[in-house]
Amino acid sequence: MRLKVPLAGLLAAGLLFAAGSPATAQSAADRAVEAAKKYAGTTLNITWEAGLQSLDPLNFSGPMWEELTGIKINVIEIPINELFTKTLAEHRARTGAFDMLNVVPAWMPDLAAAGALEPLDDFIDKFGYRDELQDIAPVYRDNQMTFRGKIYGLPDDGDVLIMYYRKDLFGDPANQSAFKSRFGYDLAPPTTWAQFRDISQYFTEKFAPDLYGSAMMRSAGLIHYFYEERFRVEGGKFFDADTMKAQIGNDIAVSVLEGMIDEHQFMPPGVEGWGPIEVLNAWLAGDLAMMGWWPPPGRWSAGYGTDTDALSWLPKSKVAGKVGYALPPGGTPQLAAGFLLSVSADSKNKEAAYLFAQWLNSKEISLKRVQLPFALRDPFRISHFESAEYKALWPAASDYLATLKSAAESGLLDLSIRNTFAYEDALTRAITASFGGADPREALNKAAKEWDDITKRVGVEKQREAYLDWASKPNAYPKR
Amino acid sequence: MTVSTKIAAGLFGKRVDAFTDRNFKYLLIAPAIFILLLIGIFPLINLVVASFQDITILGEDKSFQGLLNYKRLFSDARMWESLLHTVLFMAVALPIELLLGTVMALLLLEKMWGRQIFIALLIIPTVIAPIVAGATWRLMFDNRFGPINQVLGWFKGEPVNIVWIVNSSYVWAAILATEVWQWTPFMFLILLAGFSNVDRTQVEAAQIDGASNLRIFFKIVIPAIRPVLAIALLIRALDLFRLFDIVWALTRGGPGTMTETISTFTYVKGFEQFDTSYTSAVAIVVVVLLSIAVIFALRRVEIAR
Repeated sequence: MRLKVPLAGLLAAGLLFAAGSPATAQSAADRAVEAAKKYAGTTLNITWEAGLQSLDPLNFSGPMWEELTGIKINVIEIPINELFTKTLAEHRARTGAFDMLNVVPAWMPDLAAAGALEPLDDFIDKFGYRDELQDIAPVYRDNQMTFRGKIYGLPDDGDVLIMYYRKDLFGDPANQSAFKSRFGYDLAPPTTWAQFRDISQYFTEKFAPDLYGSAMMRSAGLIHYFYEERFRVEGGKFFDADTMKAQIGNDIAVSVLEGMIDEHQFMPPGVEGWGPIEVLNAWLAGDLAMMGWWPPPGRWSAGYGTDTDALSWLPKSKVAGKVGYALPPGGTPQLAAGFLLSVSADSKNKEAAYLFAQWLNSKEISLKRVQLPFALRDPFRISHFESAEYKALWPAASDYLATLKSAAESGLLDLSIRNTFAYEDALTRAITASFGGADPREALNKAAKEWDDITKRVGVEKQREAYLDWASKPNAYPKR
Repeated sequence: MTVSTKIAAGLFGKRVDAFTDRNFKYLLIAPAIFILLLIGIFPLINLVVASFQDITILGEDKSFQGLLNYKRLFSDARMWESLLHTVLFMAVALPIELLLGTVMALLLLEKMWGRQIFIALLIIPTVIAPIVAGATWRLMFDNRFGPINQVLGWFKGEPVNIVWIVNSSYVWAAILATEVWQWTPFMFLILLAGFSNVDRTQVEAAQIDGASNLRIFFKIVIPAIRPVLAIALLIRALDLFRLFDIVWALTRGGPGTMTETISTFTYVKGFEQFDTSYTSAVAIVVVVLLSIAVIFALRRVEIAR
C-alpha cells in the first residue's frame, strides 16, 4: 500500500508532464496546427498534380488549414508528366517558388541527390511525428521515405495496382463447371499469369464481343509498371549488381513480354493502345471480367461518390455490388507511382511547409482525405485499412480495404534509381514497339543496350550505389 | 547635306558632322540589328556552347567536354532513324500533296457554280491547329468508336477492327493521311493562285496550234508557275521536316520509335529527359544538314536570285 501513493503520484505527474509536453499532449495534426499559427498571414505555394488530385487542397484541406492557422495555401497545379521537371527546374534556378512538393517516390533519388528536397528528420522529431509514421503501411513506410538514410518525404498515397474481378461471373455455377471441365481447376481469381490467361480466354470465348476476359493498361507511360511487376514476379532482376549490366533482354524478360502480347487476343480489340480511361470505361460498363487498376475503381464501381460534380464524367457503374478485389497474379502488385509530401530545399517557409505536410499526412486528417471521393488519394495507413468509418462506406468496403492492406505489405516498388525516367522510357519503347509488331527479343535487347548506355552516362559506380540502395529495400523484389 | 545628316546634326550637334550619310545609316539600324542578334545569334551561340558541355537533368557540368555529344550522336541509331523517318514522311507526303493540290486547283480553276464556297470549305483543314487536327484524327482512327473503321466495315460487310495508331502496318498510313488531309489545301491554294495567273493567250495559241492538254500543261503552264511551285514545295518541305504536332497527337512517335521524327526525338530528349547538351548537338547537326539541303534546293530551283 505504501508504494501505491508514490506510484499514483508518479503516474499523475507523468500524465501532467505528458499533457504539458507539446510532443505528446495532442495529436500530430493538432501539434502541427498549434506550431503553424505563428506563421499566420503567410502563403505557402504547394505543387500538386493537376486535375482531380488537386481538388483535395483546393476544396478541402487548403481552406481547412487556412481557417485553423491563418496560412493561405496556393495550389500550383502541374500535369503529372511535368511535375518532376518543373520541380527540378525551379530548384536549378533557385527561385524558391515552391514550398511544399508532391513527389513521386521513384523521382526521389534524383531530386534528393540534386539537393531539391529538404531532409525532414529534424522536423519530424521537433514536432513529434515519428510515432505516427509507424502507422503508415510497411510498403510505403519502409521503402519510399528515405534516400541514403534520411527522410525526404512523407508517403501520402496508397497507389498500388490491384486486380478487380466480377464476383457474379466467377460465382456463377455454369461458369464454374464449364471452366473446370475445360481447364481442370476451379474458377477463382488467378494466382498465376497462366491462370489469368486461361480465365481471360474462357470469358472471351464465351461472351465476346459483349464481354471480354480482361483488360489492362497498355499505353506508353504506364505499361512499364505492369511489365516491371511481371518481370520480377517471374524472377527477373533489372541489373546484374556486380557489373550493372541490364538484364531486361534475358529469357525471363522476353517470355514475360511474349506472354503479355499473347493475352491481347483475349482482351478487347485495340487494347494495345488503351490507357487508364479506356480500361476504366470498359470496366464500369460491365464489359470486362477482370482488370488491373489503382484503388479508385473499387470505390467508383460501388458508386461511392460518383454523384459528385467532379466525377460527373465517369460512366454510371453497371457493376455495383458485383465487384471482387484481389491481388494480381503473383501476389506482389506494383505500387505504380504514389506520392510523397516533401519540402522544397529552396523554400523560405520550410517549417510552415513541413507543418502543413505533417497535418495533411496525420492519421486524423489523412483519413478524411482518403475518403474524399474525387481526390484520388488512396488509403495508405494501417489505421485507414482498419477504419470503421471507411468500412461503412459501401457493403464490400471491408474486402476492398483488406485487399489494399495485403497489397501494402507485399507490393513491389517502382524502379527508382538515378535518371529513372530514361530507363523507363527505353523500356516503354521496347514494349510498345513489340505491341506494334516488332520482335520482342530484338526490342528488349535494344532496350537493354540503351540501359547500359544510360548507366555509363550516369556513371556505373554512381548508379550501382543508387541501385543497391533501392534493391536493399524490403519490397524491391518479391520475397521468395 | 542630306535630310538624315541634318536631323543627326540637330540631334547630336557638331559631333555628328564627322559622320557621313553612309555611316549614319548604320547607327540608325544598329538597335534593330542588336535586337536581332540578341534573339537570334545569342541563343545560337549558347546552343553551340552547350553542345560542348554535359548539361543534363542530373547535373550542370559546364566544363568543356570536347566532342562527347557529337560522338554519341553519330552512334545514336535512334536519332538517325528519326531523321530517316522525317525524310520518308517528306518524300511520301510532299508528292501526294502536290498531286492532289494540282488536281484540286485545276478542277476549281474554271468559273463554276459554288466555286467560292468549295474553295472556302477546302481550306478549312489548313486553318486548324495541327495538334487539334492530330487529336481529332486520333478519334477518327479509334478502332471501336472511330468512323474510319465503321466506313470500312460498310464496304467490307463485316466489322473492321484495325488498330490504326498501334499496329506498325497501319500507323504510317494514319499519320500520312492526317498530314495530307491538313496540308493539301495549302498546296491547292498556292497552285490555284499560280494557275490563275498563267497567260491565257499562250494557252489559247498552243491550243490553236493543236497542242494536247498534257503538252500545254507541261510546256506552258508548269514553266509559267515554276517560281510559285518552287516556293510552295520549299515551304511544305520545311514544314514536313519539322513535322511534330500530328505525330505527337497521334502516336507520340510510337509504337516504340517507329514513327518518331527528328522533331519529336529532339523534344523528348530536350524537354522530357532534359538531356540538354546532347539535344543541343542534335539541333546543330540538324540545322547544318537542313541548311545544306535548303541551299541546294534553292540553287536547284533557281529562286534564290
